[in-house]
Amino acid sequence: MRFFGRRGRRDREIQEEIDRHLQMAEQAHIERGEAPEEVRHAARREFGNVDLVHEVTRSQWRGRWMEHLLQDIRFGARMLRRNPGFTLVAVMTLALGIGANTAVFSIVNAVLLRPLPFPHADRIYQVGRTGNRIGGSSISLPIFLAWQDEENVFEHLALIRWSGPETLTGAGEPLQVRSLSVSTELFPALGVQPALGRAFLPDEGKPGGPRVLMLGEGFWQSHFGADPKVLGRTLTVDGELFTVVGVLSRDFELPIPGARDIQAWFPVQLPALSHNPSNEALCVGLLKPGITPAQAEAALTPLLADLSRQFPKMIGAQERAHLVRLRDFVSHRAGSAPLLLLGAVAFLLLIVCANVANLLLARAAVRKREMAIRAAIGAGRGRIIRQLLTESILLALLGGLMGVMVCYFCFDFVVSLVPASLLRVGMVRIDIAVLAASFLVSLLTGAVFGLVPALDAARQDLNLSLKEAARPSSTAGRGWLRSALVVSEVALALVLLMGAALLVESFARLLRVQPGFDSSHLLTFQVALPTKQYDSPDKRSLLFKRATQGFSALPGAEQVGLANVLPLRGGPDLLFNIVGGTRSISQETALDADYRIISPGYFSVLRIALLHGRGFKDTDDHASQAVAVINRTMAESFWPGMDPIGHQIWIGKPMGPSWTEPMPREIVGVVEDIREGSLAEPPDATMYIPYTQAPQTDVAFFLVRTTGDPAAFVPSIRSALKNVDAALPLSSVTTMEEVVAASLGDWRFRTTLLAIFGGIALFIATIGVYGLVSYSVTQRTHEMGIRAALGAKPGGLLRLVIVQGVKLAGTGVLIGMVAALALTRLMTGLLYGTKSTDPWTFAGVAILLVLVTVAACYFPARRAARVDPVVALRYE
Amino acid sequence: MKGHYQNRIELLQGTLDLIILQTLQWGPQHGYGICQAIRANSGEVLQVDTGSLYPALHRLERQKWIGADWKVSENKQRVRVYRLTAKGKKQLLAERSRWAQLQEAIAGILSPAKGESEA
Repeated sequence: MRFFGRRGRRDREIQEEIDRHLQMAEQAHIERGEAPEEVRHAARREFGNVDLVHEVTRSQWRGRWMEHLLQDIRFGARMLRRNPGFTLVAVMTLALGIGANTAVFSIVNAVLLRPLPFPHADRIYQVGRTGNRIGGSSISLPIFLAWQDEENVFEHLALIRWSGPETLTGAGEPLQVRSLSVSTELFPALGVQPALGRAFLPDEGKPGGPRVLMLGEGFWQSHFGADPKVLGRTLTVDGELFTVVGVLSRDFELPIPGARDIQAWFPVQLPALSHNPSNEALCVGLLKPGITPAQAEAALTPLLADLSRQFPKMIGAQERAHLVRLRDFVSHRAGSAPLLLLGAVAFLLLIVCANVANLLLARAAVRKREMAIRAAIGAGRGRIIRQLLTESILLALLGGLMGVMVCYFCFDFVVSLVPASLLRVGMVRIDIAVLAASFLVSLLTGAVFGLVPALDAARQDLNLSLKEAARPSSTAGRGWLRSALVVSEVALALVLLMGAALLVESFARLLRVQPGFDSSHLLTFQVALPTKQYDSPDKRSLLFKRATQGFSALPGAEQVGLANVLPLRGGPDLLFNIVGGTRSISQETALDADYRIISPGYFSVLRIALLHGRGFKDTDDHASQAVAVINRTMAESFWPGMDPIGHQIWIGKPMGPSWTEPMPREIVGVVEDIREGSLAEPPDATMYIPYTQAPQTDVAFFLVRTTGDPAAFVPSIRSALKNVDAALPLSSVTTMEEVVAASLGDWRFRTTLLAIFGGIALFIATIGVYGLVSYSVTQRTHEMGIRAALGAKPGGLLRLVIVQGVKLAGTGVLIGMVAALALTRLMTGLLYGTKSTDPWTFAGVAILLVLVTVAACYFPARRAARVDPVVALRYE
Repeated sequence: MKGHYQNRIELLQGTLDLIILQTLQWGPQHGYGICQAIRANSGEVLQVDTGSLYPALHRLERQKWIGADWKVSENKQRVRVYRLTAKGKKQLLAERSRWAQLQEAIAGILSPAKGESEA
């Protein structure tokens, strides 16, 4: 606006000036006695084309700026072309910094920072409890029903229930689909509309209401050919008919664990009353405007207390309602890894900036003489500053552009590293805002560090600098700043490398951890039984038994086993009592152990050693004595120094009647520990029970040990399963080796990224040291020549230069060590079997850095050592 | 480089600047006045084209060799009046000596014999 105003004023003034000129001319004509009616015409004729004069006069005030800019850019481009080494290094440094920064920041943003993509995201809360025995955020159906009646707090209160994989028929082969059951209020609460069709209606959330489902966009495309006529179609799910009412966009992701890539959404049919004690639901609510979470908690807690009086075993009297913003619920689960990466990115960006600044300072020093000559032949101060600034900004722009390309090319790779366990908010895409910000940082670096030498050049005393520049022997001036920049580059690189080294060390240790089972040649897949068809424990047991037999009979299958969950994936744990326990156990110490339902073949297929007693037999069924096998940790923690065999445990007894098994189990064997949760966690106490004595089992992971490649065995398995029941789908097919690898996904992600960052940092810091030493060797050619002439040996000169480099690197390493000592402590939670101050790692990284910098100094040092005194002294 | 201005006044390149600066040495003057003064002082020989004068005035103003102020004339109208600045005075001296050199050189070319005898 102001620009146009000023331009308008200038135009008006010129017009006024011309008008006045014409008036004066007319006046002169009148005074000469000419006829007033002709005067006006005469004055105009004399003046010429008014508009043209106006335009040409106006043009004196513009155009020059643009012209100078073009000139500067042309000249700058020529300078960059003429120094390809300098340009390449600067542009590459910037490109790496900006590219890596944008890629990683985009991901961290999606995982940690970006607001949830819902209209009232700031009012959406996860509603749970504190102070309960089992802990966590999930609630039971009675609690939800009670809270739902509180009308003054929430606009919408919704329930999300993880349902097992559902078997879907009616779309080709029988399929197992990832599904989620949600109450009809969920979509209004989030403010989400389906991409096609409609969301659930209130009636569909009532018992006996219409049975409907919504499909995920990806599933709709892959299995229904993205056909819009899918609306209204009926599909068979677990033997019941459901009508498709909508398709949910691919971009919609419910940011809770286990809700990624959901293929089918079902409405929960909420009963009016429930006594179901299991905490299997997550509650999400949209607060009414103006209601604070504290007010909501105050309103919900009394309802919890009422329930606690009604069901004292299910809900403790001390339990309180607790609201967590859904955003925080998501980022809390991401842990500290994203922050670590963010820190690493910031460090890398700092190193990049320091390096570019250094390069620009070096350029400016070399061109001191050029600048002096320019000033001497009349270039204004402003003109010189602008010239240098244009050059450095041009460089930054080039770097930024390359950075965008680097980001674009490596983005998919970085995203592929993101482990599935990290929750994300919406889709992970290259973030334009982040890209713009990185670009801006690079521009700013160019501007600031282009300006420092530019101001310097403009301020300098012409005579002095001409003389000084003529004899390039002094290293005074900005030398200290350059050294400081290189030292900080080395220090920053050291911290990054230290972090990377600690992670690599942890990762290597994890890879050496024995999981306790043999994962080679093991194929695994899931079979889930539809409850409509397999409605009794006997039918389910029989199917599993027949399937096991079918798989075992296949040529190339060595052993077959099954379990309710696979090792390294975590799973349920339950409390138990020791019947007639000799140990007195205080009320607070919970007897808690992982709960695994397995087949008799499980231990042999995984090659888990039996330490004591026996494993399961086919004869252990619901008619015989209830039995359990426990692992070494369980035996040692609850029966220290004793033989647990023959003792009895009662599983679920401390958790209330609905959890309690009908009778105690006798411990018949002890097996070696395996890692159940992850390789990084020590083995938990684990109790195994045979599936034939676990009537509720309807989902099983099979494990088949093959003689050949397990992946090639899938077709035989598929046909064997078809022989048992053609309607049963096979899902989650993978090898046990992949399960082990996937369990390390988080570790691999941050280790790989940090290692890459460390490598880039090392590279850039090395360039920095090389650049500075190389520059100073050039500056000191004269001095070296004198030294050589006075009898200095090449070895001495070599040492002189290398010592300079080692001093720089050494200072950087020392400062970096102090910083690393302070900073790596923050990583403690991300390490395994490695102390954050591991002396070997510290020493190793420090030595590596010093060695690399010495190597970087070697080339300029050799140049110094080979200086021919005659040439050097004539060099001026 | 100097756009339209350059094309239009090729003949007077440099000279018009000198004439304007010289004219302003006698005191501040507006565009029309400068026009009249040049005509009068050159014995009605030089007729400055306004299409050259005004761009030149504004260019000199931008170079800070002359300054411009709005003054109120006798008949209560705003008039843009130009004056010589200190920088302009220095420039005038430089241009005058350059002009003298040029004059001498041209004179030498035009009448070589006379030039030699004078030297």
